[in-house]
Amino acid sequence: MIVLTPLKKYQYPIIAECITPDVFQGKTKEELSNLPVWEGNKKRKLGELFKIDVTSVKSPDITIIGDVIKVKRIGWGMTQGEIVVNGNVGMHLGKKMSGGKIVVNGNTEGWTGSQMKGGLIEIKGNAGDYLGSPYRGSTVGMRNGKIIVHGNVGSDAAIYMKSGVIKIHGNADSFMGFRMTGGVIHIEKNAGTRLGACMTGGKIVVSGILKNIMPTFALELIKGKVKIETGEKAVGPFYVFLGDLAETGKGKLFVSKEKNPQMSQYERFL
Amino acid sequence: MSIVKSVTCPVCGCLCDDIELTIADGAVAQVKNGCAMCEAKFFSHNNKHRITTPLMRKDGELVPVSYDEAIQKSAEILANATYPILYGWSSTDCEAQRIGVALAEEVGGVLDNTAVVCHGPSILGVQDVGIPTCTLGQVRHRADLIIYWGCDPWSAHPRHLERYTSFTDGRFEGSEWKSYINKVKAAAGKKKLRSLERKGILKERHPHIAPSVNDNKPPEILNKKGRKLIVVDVRKSMTAEVADYFLQVEYGKDYELIQAVRALVKDQELDVEKVAGVPVEYLQQLVDAMTSCEFGVIFFGMGLTQSAGKFRNIDVAISLVRDLNMRTKFAIMPMRGHFNVTGANTVFTWQSGYPYGIDFSMGYPRYNPGETTVVDILMREESDAGLVIASDPVSNFPRRAVEHLVKNPLIVIDPHMNATSLVGDIVFPASIVGIEKAGTAYRMDHVPLPLKKVVDPPEGLLSDEEILSRILNEVRNIKLKTLEVA
Repeated sequence: MIVLTPLKKYQYPIIAECITPDVFQGKTKEELSNLPVWEGNKKRKLGELFKIDVTSVKSPDITIIGDVIKVKRIGWGMTQGEIVVNGNVGMHLGKKMSGGKIVVNGNTEGWTGSQMKGGLIEIKGNAGDYLGSPYRGSTVGMRNGKIIVHGNVGSDAAIYMKSGVIKIHGNADSFMGFRMTGGVIHIEKNAGTRLGACMTGGKIVVSGILKNIMPTFALELIKGKVKIETGEKAVGPFYVFLGDLAETGKGKLFVSKEKNPQMSQYERFL
Repeated sequence: MSIVKSVTCPVCGCLCDDIELTIADGAVAQVKNGCAMCEAKFFSHNNKHRITTPLMRKDGELVPVSYDEAIQKSAEILANATYPILYGWSSTDCEAQRIGVALAEEVGGVLDNTAVVCHGPSILGVQDVGIPTCTLGQVRHRADLIIYWGCDPWSAHPRHLERYTSFTDGRFEGSEWKSYINKVKAAAGKKKLRSLERKGILKERHPHIAPSVNDNKPPEILNKKGRKLIVVDVRKSMTAEVADYFLQVEYGKDYELIQAVRALVKDQELDVEKVAGVPVEYLQQLVDAMTSCEFGVIFFGMGLTQSAGKFRNIDVAISLVRDLNMRTKFAIMPMRGHFNVTGANTVFTWQSGYPYGIDFSMGYPRYNPGETTVVDILMREESDAGLVIASDPVSNFPRRAVEHLVKNPLIVIDPHMNATSLVGDIVFPASIVGIEKAGTAYRMDHVPLPLKKVVDPPEGLLSDEEILSRILNEVRNIKLKTLEVA
């Protein structure tokens, strides 16, 4: 196991896409401390910014102890291994990852799990905006893998999502699942506005309150339970909405019947 | 005394190029054809708030220094900074902006323009779904349905209606100004009567009831031939007063409204009676007017870009235009504010590939609004130096962002003393682009127009372009010296 500890409180953004098990594998302490990172517009070495310790413990591969909220691109494109962060993490955590596991015992900034293709990200705190969403202008969202958030999630999460699972134990902000075409999102508490806007496929399950539903969703049926992933079901009953009609989409929105009495007016369309 | 014709006005995105100036004793004496903002700008070159010499903060006081000293000091600040920001750019010419890109690349900083607090979301929307647009000339000659969504050109772009849309005589579409004048007169008369009633001079005949959205049924006129004007806004603006139909949308619900209109355009049925406070049957009439026109155009402003939903509002508005193009001809255009903000986006794009929020810190351009935009960087307190040109962020940025901007060395290039120059560490006076310096600017429809030099700048004053290129040269010298030492 390699333990990284920040040497100071950073002011400038730090880009450290070298912090992945794939790059760290088989390197000596000296080689590790010579890996290139960017601090603002200055090129630095990993050893100048982090204290590096190598221990004999096998798993996890990398442990970061301390607040690394300014450090971006940790776990970039990782394919295997495990990273554990005991603190808050900066943007683009686990971007383009296709395997392995990242556990964050803190909060994350924007674009966590952006363009993810596989693997698991578990966030014990809150996640920022654009969770599992692509960079600006890209239409390639989350392709596979799993994200679990124990806290709340910011806005624009899971946009252009194609496959995979996102589970949120807290609340979600607006525009979740925007233009998604597949995959499953489960929000255990309350959802924000414009949920699933422009979606054409996939399903979003809301076990809490959904205050405002887009006018372009139509009630299809009421269902007792819904499958989240193999061996896991959410228990309802749920109103099942189809949409987004503006995109002639076939996405499904499951909204808890018990928690949303204001939606009973839709029942006349059944 | 001389008269200069066909001068381009350097105020708003309309870039009216029919201004006639009378010059007497080396100063602008009369402005013809312009709006109030245009007049104010052309007279401003004689303003007492002009800075006439470079200033530098020494012991907390701004003291006059020479250009050489100020340029040397600025170059040192920028060359040694780890994460500098270069912000502004929208009120200067393309020539200065071009050097700005080179400077940002040389110092490895973040280059951003005022679009970030204005029409930046429009650009994000365009990057997501594309944009079916046209030039203002086409609108003038052919458009028979004009929709202003979340903008008030009567106040912000005063000659937009008169030069490009409803009040102009195009080749295929006539002006509607006569009917509007009658309408405005009638409205003014009604207001007068009501005021007299309130004061008790006239006996109250009909008790006045404020009209609710429910009473606001689309009028028959929407189905007639000829130019029609529709305004969608959260309140009855000046433009809404002259419109054929004013659609009042609930605050922050534009996204839902446009999405519902899109569903109706696609002949879908909605499960709700009202969307954003507007009955669906009225929306159906609006959709009928949209699909039955020959050439429609949507102009949108801050009401869409900076309200809840931001760039998703633009995304959906453009998608609506795309859907309408299946049925008829439709176009969409942002109402850009500063006279050359479109130019800033264009110059930055052709030089670096990205329109704003460009981070050169890794040596190559990176772009990710939210991460590489100036307001976010300042809020996260990451920058360590700043250069502000032709802008006043201190008066309109969030307070925390301003606090961080002021904490670090701040270089300001501006013709006038404004809130940002007052707190700057180095202040450069510059000649006014479009009055004292010729250049190029882009109109809101991406048409480049030449700016004229009509009077001479105060003696010894350099232009934005010259100041920036001298700073750039100095930065290059410093970098070369450090390389030699290494």
